[in-house]
Amino acid sequence: MAGLSTDPGRRVVVTGCGAISSIGIGVSEFSAALRAGRSNVRPMTQFSTEGFAHGNGCEVADFAPARWIRRTDLDELGRATQFSTAAARLAVEDAGMDQTALEDGRCLISIGTTDGESHDLDRLVAQEIAGGPTAMEPALAKRVAASRLSTAIARELGLGDVETATIATACSAGNYAIGNGFDAIRLGDADFALCGGADAVCRKTFTLFYRLRSIAADCCRPFDKNRTGILTGEGAGVLMLESLDSALARGARIYSEILGYGLSCDAHHPVAPHQPGLTRCMDLALRNAGVKPSEVDLISAHGTGTKANDQIETAAIRDLYGANLPRIVSMKSMLGHSMGAASSLAAIGCAMAITEGFIPPTINHIETDPECAIDCVPNESVPADLRIVQNNGWAFGGNNAVVILGRYDETRTAS
Amino acid sequence: MTLAISAWSAISPFGYGRDAFADGVNGRTDTSAPVGPEWSVPDERACMVPDFDVRERLGNKGTRAMNRISALAVCTAGQLIADTEPDSREETGFVLGTTIGSAQSMMDFTRASLEAEKPFHVEPAKVPSCVMNCAAGQVAIWHQLRGPNATVAAGRATGLMALNYARRLLLTGRARQVMCGAAEEYSHARSWLDHHRRDEQDRAILGEGCAMLLLGTESSVRRPLATLRAVRSRVCLDDDPASTVLATVRRLLVEHDVDPAEVWAACGDELTALRTVFGDEVVDRVPDMELIGDTSCASALFQLTALLSVSATAPRSAGRFAVLSAVADDGAVACALIRLGEHDVR
Repeated sequence: MAGLSTDPGRRVVVTGCGAISSIGIGVSEFSAALRAGRSNVRPMTQFSTEGFAHGNGCEVADFAPARWIRRTDLDELGRATQFSTAAARLAVEDAGMDQTALEDGRCLISIGTTDGESHDLDRLVAQEIAGGPTAMEPALAKRVAASRLSTAIARELGLGDVETATIATACSAGNYAIGNGFDAIRLGDADFALCGGADAVCRKTFTLFYRLRSIAADCCRPFDKNRTGILTGEGAGVLMLESLDSALARGARIYSEILGYGLSCDAHHPVAPHQPGLTRCMDLALRNAGVKPSEVDLISAHGTGTKANDQIETAAIRDLYGANLPRIVSMKSMLGHSMGAASSLAAIGCAMAITEGFIPPTINHIETDPECAIDCVPNESVPADLRIVQNNGWAFGGNNAVVILGRYDETRTAS
Repeated sequence: MTLAISAWSAISPFGYGRDAFADGVNGRTDTSAPVGPEWSVPDERACMVPDFDVRERLGNKGTRAMNRISALAVCTAGQLIADTEPDSREETGFVLGTTIGSAQSMMDFTRASLEAEKPFHVEPAKVPSCVMNCAAGQVAIWHQLRGPNATVAAGRATGLMALNYARRLLLTGRARQVMCGAAEEYSHARSWLDHHRRDEQDRAILGEGCAMLLLGTESSVRRPLATLRAVRSRVCLDDDPASTVLATVRRLLVEHDVDPAEVWAACGDELTALRTVFGDEVVDRVPDMELIGDTSCASALFQLTALLSVSATAPRSAGRFAVLSAVADDGAVACALIRLGEHDVR
């Protein structure tokens, strides 16, 4: 689509990050864990995996929401909404934005998700099986609407002048939400945006991936010859996006700039990725950012660790980039697949990689698959001077979304 | 630059297509009917799409595991495309509003896992229908729409949030045109969830269907049915949605320099607030879409298509404004300012 990169508009920067993940809560802990190549794989506890041959996952252990959720009755929020709300609080605190500034500005809150509160739906089904439909618990039924992942944040933070929209585009939804915030700020619809993704592990999705033979028995090893699939994970990543002018005016620390993003739809298969759609999405994102493939220093891959994804994603990147590939890592090797949170947690990882000068590793890596002949930065992070990073997200429904992040450079002019 | 609505279509309890919908609206037809015992639901009445059978509508190919919500969206999109023929499928975006996708499909899948001999003895063909973006993905495949494809959820305010999302896709050049709709299905699961979710006095007759509009930028659409001037949203923090709607509408009018006297019709949620600003005549012009039941995430777009149905036969609406309000029960409020098309070109 021509003309995208000439779109005038405000520059948009990341000034706060809130991460709730299986390897750390809060951006410092999260970033340190990425740099250390940590993971926290353990048997699932949120639902019973009895009868499955294996049941490892990447849950957020010992999550204590009351630390961040202070104004809302926790029983009114499902686990995914608790994640999104806590992550938003963390992002606001990390951005150092005070309550007056928050309330005075016009805000967009957009949270992406795969499952919303499907964990509660699972419980309602169990109650129906046990006692018929009248036995379903009203408190659970009240919190299943996906919209609540976003509105709960506004309520908790006391923000009235806000547009709230949950984006339910499955596993790329975090990138979609970041894109929504980027456009809202560029068009002047919002002064700042709390954007990202959230999901909680649930039986439905674990079973679904298990049935598709896409759950790894032990751990997730993207791009490895012997990879066997994903581990289901959970958490939330919320980014505070604001216009550069606003960030400069209040002297905010700038992690990185959002340079652009791209969306495409495969229109090919409901659950399998399709190479042309992925290539087109990356191409659109780079054009929107005004960036050439040769300028990209790192790709944060969707990198689920399934046979199909990693091979098709590698081919799609090669198709666009040719022979000179940048390093390509999968943070899912550490985080598991946190579904709607995945691309937003990865975006936070990209912002931290740019800020702190390192490349997060692809852990659990033993032997690179010849069909994925890339430098995936196996097992140990490396120091790196990163200027431009590409963050990939693909999803069921052929919903592709790629975000391009850049180091904030005051001399750069808006694309 | 604003957004232009160039066409619309609907499948609703009024029937199939634009004419059936407009007839139902203008005739103020009550569509509620007794619910059969086969549904085993707590509802006595519901507003259902008449004779909606997925395979009868779409044939046998590719529909074996297609759920009702996806089929409603695929068929409505088919009607809209047949009426308009979008220029480039690669540059056509698709935005669909949802509540949680198909509660029935998701809960059936979990039930199968819990009741099977082995928890993974579930049908792989059912997998695609268990995610919230199932309908949007199916529409893309069925109609080969390869532009941006998004699913948006904001309760009863979904339709207006989806319009605003579509507006951004168009204004940033990410799509040349966008088909924007919202779909809701009637089901055992939705009925029981709704029953438990609401107190007895707040329960409504449930409806279903899909409304969809074709949108372009104002400069690209020669004869718009209407243009979307703006959508303004808020979250109501004090449990007084009427005041929030009132404040949002007033702000919208001031920001766009529109006098209440220029507003020909106002409709949607919290009608008392709209009456305060516009008076009864303006608010009563467009029937309330409770005629087709509570269609949840689809309600705001059905209200918009009702507005377009009424204004199409009202010469005096030409060039005047309309205001739509939507209030979600989690407090999200959205109001839209619309300018109705010139009558002689419609």
